[in-house]
Amino acid sequence: MHTNLVDHGHGLRHAGAASRRWHELLLGAICLLALLISGHAKAAAAAMPAECKALQAKYPQFKGKSFVNAINPHTPGYEALDPNDPSKYVGFDIDLGETIGDCLGFTMTYRPVTFAALLTTLQSGQADIVISDIYATEERAKAADFITYSKVFDGVLVAKGNPKKITGINPTMCDTTAAENTGYVEVPLIQNLAPACKSASKQEAAVQLYDNNANCIQAILSGRADTYVNDVNTVDQAVKAYPDQLEKATAVTLPYSVGIGVPKDKPEFRAAVMAALVAIQKAGIQTDLLKKWSLGAENLETPKLIVSN
Amino acid sequence: MNLFLHYLAMPYLLKGIGFTIAVTLLGLAGGLVVGLVLASMQLSRVGPLALFARGYTVIFRGTPLILQLVFAYDALPHIGLKLSAISAAGLALAANEGPFIAEILRAGVLGVDRGQLLAGQALGMTPTVLMRRIIAPQAIRMIVPALGNESVSALKNSSLASVIAVDELTLRSTQLASSTFDFFSIFFASGLMYLLLTGAIAAIQLIAEAALDLDRPASERFARLLPWRRASVAVSTPRASVASPSDALFEREPLPALRKHDKPQDRSRRYAELAKQRAAVQVTGLCKRYGGQTVLEGFDLTVRAGEVVALLGPSGSGKSTLLRCINHLEQWNGGEIRIDGQRLGFRVDGRPMTQHEIANERASAGVGMVFQHFNLFSHLTACENIAGPLRWVHGMAPADAERRARELLESVGLSHRADALPRHLSGGQQQRVAIARALAPRPRVLLLDEPTSALDPELVGEVLEVIQRLAIEGGLTMLISTHQLRFADEVADRVVFMSGGAVVEEGPAHEILTHPRHPLTMRFLSVMGADSRLPVAS
Repeated sequence: MHTNLVDHGHGLRHAGAASRRWHELLLGAICLLALLISGHAKAAAAAMPAECKALQAKYPQFKGKSFVNAINPHTPGYEALDPNDPSKYVGFDIDLGETIGDCLGFTMTYRPVTFAALLTTLQSGQADIVISDIYATEERAKAADFITYSKVFDGVLVAKGNPKKITGINPTMCDTTAAENTGYVEVPLIQNLAPACKSASKQEAAVQLYDNNANCIQAILSGRADTYVNDVNTVDQAVKAYPDQLEKATAVTLPYSVGIGVPKDKPEFRAAVMAALVAIQKAGIQTDLLKKWSLGAENLETPKLIVSN
Repeated sequence: MNLFLHYLAMPYLLKGIGFTIAVTLLGLAGGLVVGLVLASMQLSRVGPLALFARGYTVIFRGTPLILQLVFAYDALPHIGLKLSAISAAGLALAANEGPFIAEILRAGVLGVDRGQLLAGQALGMTPTVLMRRIIAPQAIRMIVPALGNESVSALKNSSLASVIAVDELTLRSTQLASSTFDFFSIFFASGLMYLLLTGAIAAIQLIAEAALDLDRPASERFARLLPWRRASVAVSTPRASVASPSDALFEREPLPALRKHDKPQDRSRRYAELAKQRAAVQVTGLCKRYGGQTVLEGFDLTVRAGEVVALLGPSGSGKSTLLRCINHLEQWNGGEIRIDGQRLGFRVDGRPMTQHEIANERASAGVGMVFQHFNLFSHLTACENIAGPLRWVHGMAPADAERRARELLESVGLSHRADALPRHLSGGQQQRVAIARALAPRPRVLLLDEPTSALDPELVGEVLEVIQRLAIEGGLTMLISTHQLRFADEVADRVVFMSGGAVVEEGPAHEILTHPRHPLTMRFLSVMGADSRLPVAS
C-alpha cells in the first residue's frame, strides 16, 4: 500500500545547499498559502500543463464529468480527513487525483472504503478510479489495470527501543507478532518467512489483520503486536504522533510501484489518465506535490502500465 | 477531556448521526415491511409460502450482516442494480432485520389467546376484522419491548454500513481517528453519541408502553386516539328504555313462557307447542373425527324454534364439538347442519365456503355462542366487547352500538362495570358480559358451552340466573351443554343425553332427569346427582 521515503520537508531543507534555501522557503510558503486558501490541490491546478488542453480535445467524453475515487482514507500524507476541516480529504494522492481531473476536465468525488474493498468497489462500478497509495502488484492487476506513479519504500514501526530487535521483513520477525492491514502486500511477505523461521527452530511471525492504519498503530501501542510494516511516510507520521512510545526500526525497499487503479474494461479512460499523468510529471507538478507533502522527490516514478490478462 | 468535548461538539461527527439515523430508519421501515410479509406467509399455512418464508429466514438470519452489506453494494451492480451506498445499506439492513421482525410479529400474533379468536369468529368476524380489531391491538402491545430491542440492535448494526462507504458516524469516527491520531477521544465521543441515540429509542419504547397500557385511564396521553381504544360515545341511555329486560333481550313470537315453578301440565303443554314450531337447528348424520378418533358418528338432532335443550353427558361425549360444528367453528367430515333451513358451510353451487364467506354466514345465520372460558377480548372494556362487534360485523352506528351494549350490560346487572377491562371483572361477571355480547346481534340460536364449568362455585349462581332469565323470557332457541342437573331441569324443555358421540337418550327435561331409562343416563345422573356441590340458581 504505501510508498515512500523519508521524512522530508524539514530534513531536506537542513541538508540542502544553502543557495537553495530561499527557493525552498518560497515554495513552502506558496504551498502553505494554497493549503490555507483551498485545502486542496488547487495550487497545482494553477500551473496546468499545456498538454492538458490537447488531451481534453482528444478525450472530450470525460470533460465535465464527475468521477468517483475510491480511497482508504487512513493514511495521513496520502489520503486522510483534513483534521482542521473533516469535511475534506487531503494528501498527496488527493492532490494528484485532483490535478489529473483538472487536466482532463473532470471533477472527483470520494468514496471511503476499507483497503481490502478498494478494488472490489472499482470492479462493481461503485467507483471509477482508485488513487489510494495502493501497490500495483501482478496479483492486483487481475482486478484492475494500474498506472504506476511512485516507488515503494516501507518502514518498520516498532515500540520505542525496538524490544524485539526487528530489522525488517527478515528472520528477526520470527517469534513476533505483526499488525497489518487486510489486503496489504506486506502480509504475504511476512508469511513467506515461515520456512526461514522453521529452519531456525523459531515460530513464524503471527499476523494480526486490521481494517485500517490507526488500528494497526493501536495494536503496537496496546502491546498486542510488536511491529507494523507499512509505507515509510505513514510510519513516520505514527512516530511523530507518539514519539515516546513508537519508533521506526528501519526502512525496507519493496519491489513494487504505487499505481492508480482503473477499470479493466475502459482502455480509453486508462489512456487518458496515463497521458495526463505523464504531462503532470513532465511539468514538474508531481515533484512539487511530493515536496508539499514532505514525501521526497525520489519517490517519483515514470508511469508504466501494469495489466494482466 | 477537552479533546473529548471538542469531538463531541464537532459538526462533522454530528452530521454523521444523520446518516446513522437514516440507515437505521431505512432498515427498520424496510424490515417491518419484509417482516410483515414473511410473518403473513408463515402464518398463512399455505405450504409453499411458508416454506419460502422459512428459507428466506434461514438465509438472511443465518449470514452476517456485513456480508449482506457488501453483497448489496458490490455484487448487485454486476446484475445492473447499482444502488447508492445509503440505499444499499438500507436494503441490506432491511433484508437482515426482516426475519427478526417477522419472528417478533409472529410471536405477537400467536401470543393472542386462541379463545378470543374463536369468540371473534363466533361473532362473525372475517379474518381481516379479526386481525385488525382483535389480534393486532393485542399483538402490538406484546411486541413493543421486542421491537424496542430490535431497533437498538438495528441502530448499532448501522455502523457496519461504514464498510460500504456510508458516511455515517462510525466511518467518520474511524477516518477522523486516522487523520488526527486522537483515537480514544474520538471513539469515546462517538460512543456517547450512540448511547444518546439508543437512549432515545429506549425512551420512545417506554413512552409507547405507557401509552398502550390499558390500565391507565383512556383519557390519559394519546392512547385515546388509538382506534381500538374508543373514547366513549356520548350516549345518554334513558333509563326508562331499559327498564324492561324483555324489551332489550327478547323480541320473539309468543310461546307459552317457561316459568321456574311451572306445573307439570304447563310444561307438557309447552313441550307439545314447541314440537309444532319450525326447526331452528337441524343436524343430520353429522360425523366428526380428530385424526383417527371419532367424536361424533351419524349424529342427528333437531331443535325447534324457542326450545331450550340441555346437552348432558360425560366429558368427551362430543357436546362441545357438536356446538362448535353448529357454529361452524369446526369443519366436519360428514352430514349436514341447517340453521333455519339454510345449509351451513356451502355455497349455492355446493362448493365449500372460504373463511371470509363462513364469517359472513355466521353473522347472518344468527347463531351466538358463549364459551366455557368466557373468551372476552381482553384489550376492550366490557362495553366495547359488546359494542365493537356490532359496529365491525353488523355495521351498526357507534352511538347505537354503545346504547345497545349498555342496555345489555344493565340487563345482566353490570351497568356499573361497563368501562372495566375483563381482567378487572370476576369470572362470573366476565361470563355475564360474554352472554350479553352473544345476545347483542339478536341471535336466533344461542349456544352455551359449559358456561359455568370454569367458575368458582360461589360465582356459578349469578351466571345461571342470567341464563335462566333468558329461558324464562322465552323466544330464544338455546343449546346448553352443562353438568348442572338441577339447572337443566329448571330451564330446559328437553334434555339430550350424549355418550360416545351419539344420542343415548332424550326427552322432556324433567322426565329424563327424574326417570332415566338408559343405564348410561342412570349412571351419569346418579354420579352427578351425588355431587354435593351441585349449585342451584335460586
